[in-house]
Amino acid sequence: MTAEERERIIELINHPPPGSKIADAKRYGIDLTPLIRRLELSPSARLEELESAQQFLAKFRAAAREHR
Amino acid sequence: MNVFRKILDALSEADVDFVIIGGVAARRTDRHGSPFDLDVCYERSSANLERLTKALRPYHPRLRGAPEGLPFLFDVETIRRGMNFTLTTDLGDLDVLGEIAGIGQHPQVLVFSESVEFLGRPYLVLSLDGLIRSKRTAGRSKDLEALTELEAPENSAGARAETRRLPMLDDGRML
Repeated sequence: MTAEERERIIELINHPPPGSKIADAKRYGIDLTPLIRRLELSPSARLEELESAQQFLAKFRAAAREHR
Repeated sequence: MNVFRKILDALSEADVDFVIIGGVAARRTDRHGSPFDLDVCYERSSANLERLTKALRPYHPRLRGAPEGLPFLFDVETIRRGMNFTLTTDLGDLDVLGEIAGIGQHPQVLVFSESVEFLGRPYLVLSLDGLIRSKRTAGRSKDLEALTELEAPENSAGARAETRRLPMLDDGRML
């Protein structure tokens, strides 16, 4: 991602066009800023990170249930 | 190694007092989706702010979503002057909150936390009661929708673990 593309994404997230899907997501309560780092990753790195997060959360959920 | 794990290791190894909150804490019941970032509530004593800044310094914390070049230094003075920070680091994204809507600061958050042994360490995690209280107060569409799952019958009443009241010192730190 170029610096220019990055700035454009930040601008879109911070000031989404009224009526856009980005504006809807913000209004719904979604923090879109984590997308910035994600978009800087390659598609395969993004997928790896997602899979790794899912594994982490599955382990966490199992530990939390065991705690009950 | 996973992004969340790397950040938790960095904080734990520096002995930072914190409670895991937000999307990760909510995933004990919510099986859908995956949070993009880790959220923690930190304790605001000077000693803990020192530990927090020391833990994150090697990973270059900066404000997430801020324009390139915006001067920002995540040091004790900055944290003391602020409260909640949305950061990106070399490890991943991290929200560090000094206060949670509907609950308060770290000493109050401790009352709504429980210890979960996880990946070889005990972590304090916001309880279901705490999650429900904070989401109800935040009141955004996303939060209200999450309440449906958090308050589902299998998570409520007898099935929900009671919030563990941890023994605390007067300053809110755990014994």
